[in-house]
Amino acid sequence: MRHWAQRTHLAGLVALTVTACARGEHVPARGDVAVTDDAGRRVTLAAPARRIVSLLPSFTELLFAIGAGDRLVGRTAWCDYPPEAVAVPSVGDGMPPSVEAVAARRPDLVVLYRSGPNVTAADQFERLGIRTVLLDLNLLEQLGPAARRLGRLTGHEQTGDSLAAVMDSLAAEPPIPSTRSLVFIVWDNPPIVIGGGSYLDHLAALAGARNVFHDVGSPSAQVAIETIAARDPDVIAVLSDRAVAPRYATRPEWRAVRAVRNGRFLFLPGQLFGRPGPRITEAVRELRQRLQGGP
Amino acid sequence: MDRELIVAVGDLTCRYAGAPRDALRGVSLDVRAGEFHALLGPNGSGKTTLLRAALGLVRPVAGRAEILGRPAGEWSRRDLARVVGVVPQREENLFPQRVHETVLLGRYPHLSLFGGVRAADGAAVERALIACDAVDLADRWLWTLSGGEYQRVRLARALAQEPRLLVLDEPTTSLDLRHEMELFELVRDLVDGQGLAALMITHHVNLAARFADQVLILAEGRAVARGAPADVLTRETVERVFSWPVAIEPFDGRPQMIPLRRHPS
Amino acid sequence: MNYVLLAGAALTTLVVSLLVGPANVPLGDVLASPIVWQLRLPRAVLAFLVGGALGVSGVGLQALVRNPLADPFLLGLSGGAGLGAVVAIALHLPGPWALPLAAFVGAVGAMALVYRLGLMGGAELDPRILLLGGVAVGAFAAAVTTALVSLAEATELRNAFLWLWGGFSGASWTTVLVFLVYAPLPLVVLAALARPLDLLVLGEEPAQYLGADVRRLKRLVYLSASLLTAAAVAVAGVIGFVGLIVPHVCRLLWGRLHRTLFPTAFLTGGILLAAADTLARTVVAPRELPVGIVTALVGVPLFGFLLRRWTVS
Repeated sequence: MRHWAQRTHLAGLVALTVTACARGEHVPARGDVAVTDDAGRRVTLAAPARRIVSLLPSFTELLFAIGAGDRLVGRTAWCDYPPEAVAVPSVGDGMPPSVEAVAARRPDLVVLYRSGPNVTAADQFERLGIRTVLLDLNLLEQLGPAARRLGRLTGHEQTGDSLAAVMDSLAAEPPIPSTRSLVFIVWDNPPIVIGGGSYLDHLAALAGARNVFHDVGSPSAQVAIETIAARDPDVIAVLSDRAVAPRYATRPEWRAVRAVRNGRFLFLPGQLFGRPGPRITEAVRELRQRLQGGP
Repeated sequence: MDRELIVAVGDLTCRYAGAPRDALRGVSLDVRAGEFHALLGPNGSGKTTLLRAALGLVRPVAGRAEILGRPAGEWSRRDLARVVGVVPQREENLFPQRVHETVLLGRYPHLSLFGGVRAADGAAVERALIACDAVDLADRWLWTLSGGEYQRVRLARALAQEPRLLVLDEPTTSLDLRHEMELFELVRDLVDGQGLAALMITHHVNLAARFADQVLILAEGRAVARGAPADVLTRETVERVFSWPVAIEPFDGRPQMIPLRRHPS
Repeated sequence: MNYVLLAGAALTTLVVSLLVGPANVPLGDVLASPIVWQLRLPRAVLAFLVGGALGVSGVGLQALVRNPLADPFLLGLSGGAGLGAVVAIALHLPGPWALPLAAFVGAVGAMALVYRLGLMGGAELDPRILLLGGVAVGAFAAAVTTALVSLAEATELRNAFLWLWGGFSGASWTTVLVFLVYAPLPLVVLAALARPLDLLVLGEEPAQYLGADVRRLKRLVYLSASLLTAAAVAVAGVIGFVGLIVPHVCRLLWGRLHRTLFPTAFLTGGILLAAADTLARTVVAPRELPVGIVTALVGVPLFGFLLRRWTVS
């Protein structure tokens, strides 16, 4: 059993090398590739990365979108898109990353979201001789730069740059006049909503919806039900794969909110809306449609 | 005069769970109204156990312990507290408290569940303070009292219970001569003047001999001698119980003990 | 006189909490506004009741274990409640009452376990074992909870901690009613034990000589105070500090007799928590602060001031 697993593993490796060689045009002439990551570190690789572990679903999607999906040798348990990603071995939930599980994939590059525990983990990888890149990905504006740098690190500069250009222009787009107002409720007790400094806020604006908590600067904030009722959004946006009214919908204190009373819930699948990624245009289009169609 | 029997302990045997031997073995004691009993014996001889068993806090293995003809274990704590007032050896004072508040605690067994403090309770507190010469202390904080004052206040609290029997567990330890004498005089006065019964654990053989009507000497859980001081406090008994040579001299018709040096000079 | 003052302060606190809030309700519309009737009023009333219950519970438990550091949540209840809540979320128990009910069951379970431990030495409830057992059971439950949260791959579970930190976002007339139906019994039982508790402070043996049925007293106090705290957990999560500090404040201000302590602790706890919740709703509007943070920020300096005044005099 173990032998078989090792053999298929080996076969995969050979196949990977072959395809990489066949697409020789992606591999630039020998020379360093270098980017500066969001932790301010200079990340230099002798050659484009060939064995990548992605520790965030958004990075996994970006890597596939720029044509570097075949370089992935590890992903998190949450990385479920595109479908091919599921075939890549999982290294756990990544919160915090299991350094051993990742190292066992023998990567030459680990892509991490810049957070406290991940910075620590990156140091540990570097000590093991594994190169790492720490990228921010909280806002729409950060998608372009991430795509550009991932393109450089994987030798897919062209596709990376062109994806980045699309993202950048989308980020710079003026919001279309809003026709509806909405609130993103992430948790009900205490109520946590999405604020202005967030990807979802920007996404809503591009789709023609005004986040009623746009004035709250942080990505998310605890608020009172009273405040939600006073700001009176047309629609409650819920990140959920199932179109089932959240459990607080029947609680009496929530019925002070008009949209709850009227059952105006908009269910947004987490895979498309829950993370910033290359499918943002699709997300904007779908949100706009769903808002116009009315929930 | 046949005075009322308040405490009746007969052939009492007690043993604490897990202990290798009996804490009390076949002890008897009768305390009547208007009698002052002293309980003597070395440390660990079972004095406090006898007191606890007589008041229903320790269940006897054999024998009987009755208060006013009813087994001590059958009394509710509240009913018993209206008959017996105790000055325990130790108690805690976690929070600051004034003297009159402390004495009022003695009225608790007389108060109804949600009812307030009645005039009769105030009067009882007043009487108790007067009896113990503690009226002037009423507004003082407990922690400002001297050792002698503190014991008087605790005795006043027991009196405020309006009991038939007073029980005192080593009340004069750490008191100086005057305060010690005052306390013994006070207890004697209460017994003679109000017809109370008193049961006192003490290490003061001489004061017990001077003040008490009856003495019970315990050693290793057994009653060694019981009776009037003059009959009980003989040289042989005291030397045997306390393991020390003594001389006994009469004074005022009562025996007084003088401990001897081990090597007379 | 004290009671008139306290009742006045309580009424003022409640009225103020009705008048202020992140939503702008004109003064003339206060009596007609659904925001006031459906949100502010039940929330203020619930905060008041929970604060009062925690104050009373703290008074009872501090007298029981004769330890000034005792807090209603010290006896393992918060750990048990947390475990209950996390299990409810992990099992996807449906319905709006699943979470509070599970937290209540968890708290009562921890209480029963600690109680059993306290009886280990025999028929007498041993306050020292109660305290140690409470800390141990609480730590164990917290460990299981953390294990569940870190092993289960669901972000929802992490939010259970938010709920546990406590707050009155879930207040409605239904929760007020549930609490009102539930709380009076343990409150009355504790009130009836006020005098025996005065005696218990002297120690168990002296208390018995003064007429207290100590064995029954300890059981009733522990059960009533714990059940009150468990109810508070169910409607508001774990709100620390109120049950620890309110008894001390009341003892410093109004003496140590429980007949005074219970009502004053109820009113003081209610005022403290209702005021803290009003601040939590308003000071950083449109955002909101967790109410436990406000109780600590307001309560600690106040307590320090009182303590200083007391030790100086």
